[in-house]
Amino acid sequence: MSITWNDNAPIYRQLRDRVVAMILDGVLKQGDALPSVRQVAADFQLNPITVSKAYQELVDEQLVEKRRGLGMYVTDGARDALLQSERERFLREEWPMLYARLKRMNLDLQTLMQSAGSNGAQS
Amino acid sequence: MSVVQARNLSKRYGTTVALDNVNLDIQPGRIVGLVGPNGAGKTTALKAILGLAEFDGELSVLGMNPRSQRTELMQQVSFIADVAVLPRWLRVGDAVDFVGGVHPRFSREKCLAFLARTKIQPTQRVRELSKGMIVQLHLALIMAIDAKLLILDEPTLGLDILYRKEFYNSLLGDYFDEQKTILVTTHQIEEVEHILTDLLFIKEGRIVLNASMDEVGERFAEVLVNPDKADAARALKPLYERQIFGKSIFLFDGADHAHLAQLGELHKPSIADLFVATMKGTYA
Repeated sequence: MSITWNDNAPIYRQLRDRVVAMILDGVLKQGDALPSVRQVAADFQLNPITVSKAYQELVDEQLVEKRRGLGMYVTDGARDALLQSERERFLREEWPMLYARLKRMNLDLQTLMQSAGSNGAQS
Repeated sequence: MSVVQARNLSKRYGTTVALDNVNLDIQPGRIVGLVGPNGAGKTTALKAILGLAEFDGELSVLGMNPRSQRTELMQQVSFIADVAVLPRWLRVGDAVDFVGGVHPRFSREKCLAFLARTKIQPTQRVRELSKGMIVQLHLALIMAIDAKLLILDEPTLGLDILYRKEFYNSLLGDYFDEQKTILVTTHQIEEVEHILTDLLFIKEGRIVLNASMDEVGERFAEVLVNPDKADAARALKPLYERQIFGKSIFLFDGADHAHLAQLGELHKPSIADLFVATMKGTYA
């Protein structure tokens, strides 16, 4: 497997974001074990310290917990907590810009919902 | 205690200075890349550490003197040379028996387990193995030794990308832990870039960069600058400048990142970029 890292953020941060995305997508569920530091280091050809640093971030954010002698596990409620913070971040950072753009283009809610429905994205 | 500590390490071959007052400290649990152009002194430095060459100055490896305590030291140090050769008539099984017989810290079981994951058969002779398989055999022999320091001199030279990936995969997955230290020289910098914890650049026998990878990330920055701001960038004394698509890329050492961001798009340079910038003029 070949992964390209971008040079705008430290790799441990990008690794942390990957795990977060996996939790959000439900690939990693609560109670699931994370692969060992050694395994990730070998798979991604990374220094083990980098991997440990990414895992430590997740522990600090309480998305992952360390079980002594067993490894790292996704905590109960990790996905809900992430969804909550992602929603807040969207509303705070992305929505104001998106809203301003929609207004500029004079797109109303009804048109948007119709378009979403006809594209099969209705939920 | 430092795994390797060198003070004013020097070495001359006739009138040629191969190592020029090198100072080094390598801590345990690190993966250190020693990078330099051909003839910069990499192999000479490794030979001194291994007690294979005479030198001037002070050198301590795992607290031992590599000249006077070589036998003792070799129980804790493993080495794969860039010119690693095994006798062509040797059978794989005999190689395992031999290392088992001479090295007290060798695990036969571990070695056979590593070999079982390759296509190498114990009955095969070295001459029947491909270049990649010979490196696999070397690695199996070396990884089965519980040593504190592993020295790799261009370990993946001439191997295809599959063998190269597999090589570092095995090292990280099956060998390395925080009790061990790896010192590696390579020209394939981009392959080890993310594996290293520390970076040493050597040029004409001198260490010209000695930093942890975290420090490298903080110290160096590349900025993509439009022509109108190029002179402002040059005034900040960049290490290196190159042109691309009508813009200039400047590489800075130690400049304030926030300040640089006003000149253009900021990037973290790759080790390969740093290497080119640091070594310019080497062959001229």
